[in-house]
Amino acid sequence: MLMLLVLALIAACLVPLVARVVGKGAGLIVAVVPFALLGAFVAFASIVERGWVRSEGWRWAPSLGLDLTFRLDGFSFLFCLLITGIGGLVTIYSGGYLTDKPRHERSRFLTLILLFMVAMLGTVLAENMLLMILFWEATSVLSFLLIGFDSRSPRSRRAAIMALQVTAGGGLALIAATAMIGQVLGTYSMAEAVRRGPELLASNWGAPIVACIMIAAFTKSAQFPFHFWLPNAMQAPTPASAYLHSATMVKLGIYLLARFEPVIAGTAWGRNTLIIVACITMLVAALQALRAESFKSALAYSTIASLGILVLLVGLDGPAASVAMIGFLLAHALYKAALFFCAGSVLHATGTGTLRALGGLRRTLPFTALACTLASLSMAGIPPFLGFISKEFLFEAQLESSWELAPLAVAVLVNAVMVGVAGVITLRPFFLAPQSEVRIEHGESFSLVAPPLLLALAGLVISLEPDWITRVAIRPAVAAVFGRPVAVDVAVWHGPTPMLALSAVVVAIGAAIVIWWRPLHVVLRRHAPIEQFGLERLWERSVRATLRLSAGLTARVEHGDLSGYLATAIAGFVTLVVWALWQAGAPLRLPGDDPVRLAEAAVALVGVAGALAAARARNLLAAMIAVGLTGFAVAITFMLNGAPDLSITQFTVEALIVVLLTALLLVVPLDAPTTRERSRRVGHMAIAASFAAVMFVVMLDMAGATNATPAADWFGRMSYVAGKGHNVVNVILVDFRGFDTLGETSVIAVAALLGASLLHARTRPDPVAARSVHFSFHAASRPLFWLLLAASVVILWRGHDQPGGGFVGGLVAALAFAVLSLARGVGEAARALRSSPVMLVAIGLGLAVASGLPSMIGGAPFLTHLWWEPGGGLPKLGTTILFDLGVYAVVLGAVLTFLFGLQREAAR
Amino acid sequence: MTILYALTAAAIMGAALYMILSRNMIRILLGLALLSTGVNLMIFLAGDFSSRQPPLIREGQQVLDEAADPLAQALILTAIVIGFALTVVLATIVMRGWRATGSLDVRRPDAPEQPDDPELRGPDAD
Amino acid sequence: MSIAAHAAILAGAVALLVRALSAEPLAVTIFGGWPTGIGVGFAARLPGAVLVVVAALIAFAAALYAVADIGARRRAGGYDALSLAMLAAVNGAFLTTDLFNLYVWFELALVAALGLITLDRREAQIGGALRYAAFAMLGATAILAGIALLYGVTGTLDLATLGRLLRTTPPSVATAAAAALLLGGLALKSGLFPFHQWLPSSYAAAPVTAAAVFAGLLTKMGFYALAVVLAGLWGGTTLLLPLGLIAAATMVLAALSALTQTDMRRLLGYHVAAQVGYMAAGLATGTAQGVTAAVFYMIHSMIVQANLFLGIGAIRRATGSWNLAHTGGMIRSNPLFAFLFAVPMLSLAGIPPLSGFWAKLLVVRAGLDAAPWLAVAALLSALITITSVAILWSEACWKSLRGRRVRRVPPAMLAGMGVLSAATLAIGLMPEPVLRVARLSAAAIARMGGGA
Repeated sequence: MLMLLVLALIAACLVPLVARVVGKGAGLIVAVVPFALLGAFVAFASIVERGWVRSEGWRWAPSLGLDLTFRLDGFSFLFCLLITGIGGLVTIYSGGYLTDKPRHERSRFLTLILLFMVAMLGTVLAENMLLMILFWEATSVLSFLLIGFDSRSPRSRRAAIMALQVTAGGGLALIAATAMIGQVLGTYSMAEAVRRGPELLASNWGAPIVACIMIAAFTKSAQFPFHFWLPNAMQAPTPASAYLHSATMVKLGIYLLARFEPVIAGTAWGRNTLIIVACITMLVAALQALRAESFKSALAYSTIASLGILVLLVGLDGPAASVAMIGFLLAHALYKAALFFCAGSVLHATGTGTLRALGGLRRTLPFTALACTLASLSMAGIPPFLGFISKEFLFEAQLESSWELAPLAVAVLVNAVMVGVAGVITLRPFFLAPQSEVRIEHGESFSLVAPPLLLALAGLVISLEPDWITRVAIRPAVAAVFGRPVAVDVAVWHGPTPMLALSAVVVAIGAAIVIWWRPLHVVLRRHAPIEQFGLERLWERSVRATLRLSAGLTARVEHGDLSGYLATAIAGFVTLVVWALWQAGAPLRLPGDDPVRLAEAAVALVGVAGALAAARARNLLAAMIAVGLTGFAVAITFMLNGAPDLSITQFTVEALIVVLLTALLLVVPLDAPTTRERSRRVGHMAIAASFAAVMFVVMLDMAGATNATPAADWFGRMSYVAGKGHNVVNVILVDFRGFDTLGETSVIAVAALLGASLLHARTRPDPVAARSVHFSFHAASRPLFWLLLAASVVILWRGHDQPGGGFVGGLVAALAFAVLSLARGVGEAARALRSSPVMLVAIGLGLAVASGLPSMIGGAPFLTHLWWEPGGGLPKLGTTILFDLGVYAVVLGAVLTFLFGLQREAAR
Repeated sequence: MTILYALTAAAIMGAALYMILSRNMIRILLGLALLSTGVNLMIFLAGDFSSRQPPLIREGQQVLDEAADPLAQALILTAIVIGFALTVVLATIVMRGWRATGSLDVRRPDAPEQPDDPELRGPDAD
Repeated sequence: MSIAAHAAILAGAVALLVRALSAEPLAVTIFGGWPTGIGVGFAARLPGAVLVVVAALIAFAAALYAVADIGARRRAGGYDALSLAMLAAVNGAFLTTDLFNLYVWFELALVAALGLITLDRREAQIGGALRYAAFAMLGATAILAGIALLYGVTGTLDLATLGRLLRTTPPSVATAAAAALLLGGLALKSGLFPFHQWLPSSYAAAPVTAAAVFAGLLTKMGFYALAVVLAGLWGGTTLLLPLGLIAAATMVLAALSALTQTDMRRLLGYHVAAQVGYMAAGLATGTAQGVTAAVFYMIHSMIVQANLFLGIGAIRRATGSWNLAHTGGMIRSNPLFAFLFAVPMLSLAGIPPLSGFWAKLLVVRAGLDAAPWLAVAALLSALITITSVAILWSEACWKSLRGRRVRRVPPAMLAGMGVLSAATLAIGLMPEPVLRVARLSAAAIARMGGGA
């Protein structure tokens, strides 16, 4: 079976080639594929009729529980015959129907139809439920593509999306059900799931599984309250409607329910739910069918009613119900597809689908009229058509089942409506006189006539010569559904029975409906409240509400005010931390006794004061200075606590920030009135304060933890021995954690690149006019520049043993250039560099990376530093110096990129 | 002393956050710079805080005596420089924003919508 | 040249993955040759190694695509260097063995991303960059504070050592707060609700090739770190409920927001966030199955999201607009494009047999075991996502475009998309190897604290 599917898939992919070459006759040629498949399946008949099951299996993804397992039993065999047989007729018909369409659209349509056929076959053959979902979802997607095939029309697009929403939603329910089954049983085999149904029901997931399966089936088979997508789906080209939306795809829900019937029956409410839903569906659909104006929508509603009958039959117990279900499935597929073909032919010929506007077509479309009559007779359940036999089965099943009479009454009523609809759709377009003249655009052609006639005749032939089909398809299918063989007697005449009487009642009421159709129709249409039955409205409204919700949500969450976003984020952080603390419930540890030293306390308080002043400042310059004050206070704190390296770095950074931001502050208004309303400010203060409070508590605990720092001790011991440096911090930076530093250096390098790109002047700037600076500053700038530059080199060089290093060195050198540019303008400072800052960055990054490479020749990891100690008073040399030099160059280049760029930009 | 420093770090962070929540871009920029200062102080507290000696191995010795935590210092050094780089990058972006809109209000340079221009279609069009 | 470089990176990444899968003793390089726990190193372990391959694949596809999208002016602005720096940062994060080093790579990625966002210096780009920068720096602060707390308590930054310590010691105030701060900061970086607001506007501002790389790499880098920190360091037992709430909110609300977006870039931006929600849901189950699902989801989603951004860039090229209302007709003018675009779209919608279906299935399965409400949220979000994808398809591919001719999509763009679509199809048709890698990854993450 896998081979068949693969071959069909390949054939589907080849269709575009064929259809482009062949043109109008493509439908006939492509139809070879489904018919060949039909032949192949018929060859399995000898297996199926003995009640055997043919299984195949391959491994696909065993750890997902996904296997390529297929299973052909009587039930799937019946489906396969319908899918391939009707599929072949649909392709033939499409060839005739799409004559007006351009060649590539026709080939696309045929490809989709064949793909759909493969998906359908896969769904009914798959044994593994994940595999079935795969094909099931494929039918939904292909249905979406076919409904929206006429993609220029907004109505088709809307209908396609609606159908996808409903059926894909059902698909999700099926996925949920499958996942739950896998969870309970540990397998995704459908046969296993059905066999071990009691186990499923006994678990916690029993009711959800059954409910999800029902939802999946109801959506696919257009049952109340999900039925509304099907009439809209009639936007699809008619061959697609015939195939997908009446003969095959919509029956997948029935397939699923029938397969899981034993599980559903195991719950107290399963059968009742099915029957109630089916009855509501039938009534609603019957009512709407009477109100329908167009040929196709009348057929669509009658299809929904028929699907309701099928669900009802699944819900009823007893062998007769299974027989009736299979019989009706077959009969309905035959006559409804034929009727859709007829509707399509009428639409194709006249360009109009409204029943009222049609009439007298029997003269121009004689064969179509014949096919329509035959199929309608079957639909109306007139002997000796198959429809009559299936209706007898239906009533028999209802009488035999343990149910009350209410469903029977509903069934009688609905069948009467079907008779009425069958009468109207045959008489009105073909036999009654038209109200106005009907213009004919296309006549009949072989492709348009043969498929409906064949199907309609099949309905007659089967009922008169039922032996083969009963033996091969119906009886095995019933046995597969019911679970054990059942005697099936397909015959037109069973003598006078209660069923015959009921049939007579149905036909009588139906005839009355046909006669009084017009007034009935008008009255029903006039009553707008019935519209409320249309759940479509409700759905539309809920979709619109969802969209409104979405828009409202977006407007609320994405209000465009950064301040609000950040407030949310900070509040989120605080909430998370508080939650975590509450959850951990650990006691708070406090740091040990640690006397307050006055000088340090004063410095710290200056830092706090600076921060608070910055937060309060209305003037940006003042705020910047206050921030700088805090920075310096922290720098001094570092110095007082044994961190000279940090201290110098912090000092230099603060100085450079001041220089750089001054360039920015020169161009913007310094006076910055508050931008927040009072209430907002208070809220923000609360958020900021709560964050600070939480962090305070947490820091206390951190400081109170017993502090064993194994790594830090190791650094202290090994720094000189292995890293050849006295300054442990520097050794860590260039050697132990040199890779961090390399990453950080890349950050600076990339920042420089960004700065160069953002600050690059698109137009040549005017030569920067020398600003007036105090002459002493001007005069002192040169010496100061050289002094700072020299200092930076010294800091760089001695960094390995004394406080200093590449970072600080680079920053100090940048400070030197800053002095020069402040005093004598950017131009002069840039000239003093004698190279572009970005080039310096590139060279520096290259140096830093290169310093780690030589050791790799010896097989050591990247960044293993090499040392050369000449001895004799000469300084030791190592690749770390190269590394630090690289860092120096990158930092210098990057800062200068921004310095020059910002100052140039400010001067514009 | 540790408690005092913890208080200092927390206060700096709180003030920084308050500035970040402003709608003035420069305040946000300064706030972020301040925030990184506060966090650096926090990392400093995370290190071994018992000694106030700088982690320098004395001349002639092989191993470090009792000294401040060198690893925390190395981390802070990295963090300071990264914070500096980001502050400067942000300053550049603010400068561009000011040049583009003439406003320092964060609500002004609006990211979401922009007009479609069918004429601009080549590379670099958008 | 850029393409050749990316191809070389891809080859190297594959070699690394092979090594990671084969080497029984962990393949670790400590730079500088120092002992473990002292120096900073790279480890070829899962899931990092496989994510490096995926990242390289995305970068390679983006380089192909860039031939048509990135012109001379953008290259002069440093596009190549910035995007390579970004790739380096992401790879660094995936491979590093050190928590602080991870932070450094985040900052490198941030600066490179800012450079890419502002490449054209337009007002919207400045606005997007400003938002992104402010958010990311706030997030980085939280991360850094968390790291500081961990260092203060344990005295180490090595991930394996930290994991061992954190799992064996009872929670303290500081470690609990560190977990919360890291969760918050990394959730911000991954674009999880309510920290996601930076994402749509900054992705919308960047040149579309860069946006594709962001969508593929940036948020996933954040999520990778989240997985390593929560599931690796804490053994997946801490903060599960808040993470689950965040995940559920992200899945549903971000998908809902995507529904009414008209700008395609913002629409996909929300989907990026929603998809991270699924991964977080996997993580929030706290089970090995959940982490497996999260890793599988990550691999799938990186490829699909990048591809979707490449796709809308092509739509924009063909129709001249980012606005859904002004696009259309792609299926008639560019059928090959429509096919290549359908693959990531269907995968995003979770239609089998594409990668997205298996990913969603794994998340749902993991959710059923641990927290059924997460599975329900995942399915609800899936329904919204399907609708959104259907609308996107209907508007961009079906609707006819009035008054303007739809242009051809350049072959380079199709080539870039083709690479990623093929990868999505391959994962979908052969989920087994990816799932095995995801399982091994979950085991590797779980093992992080104990022993190897």
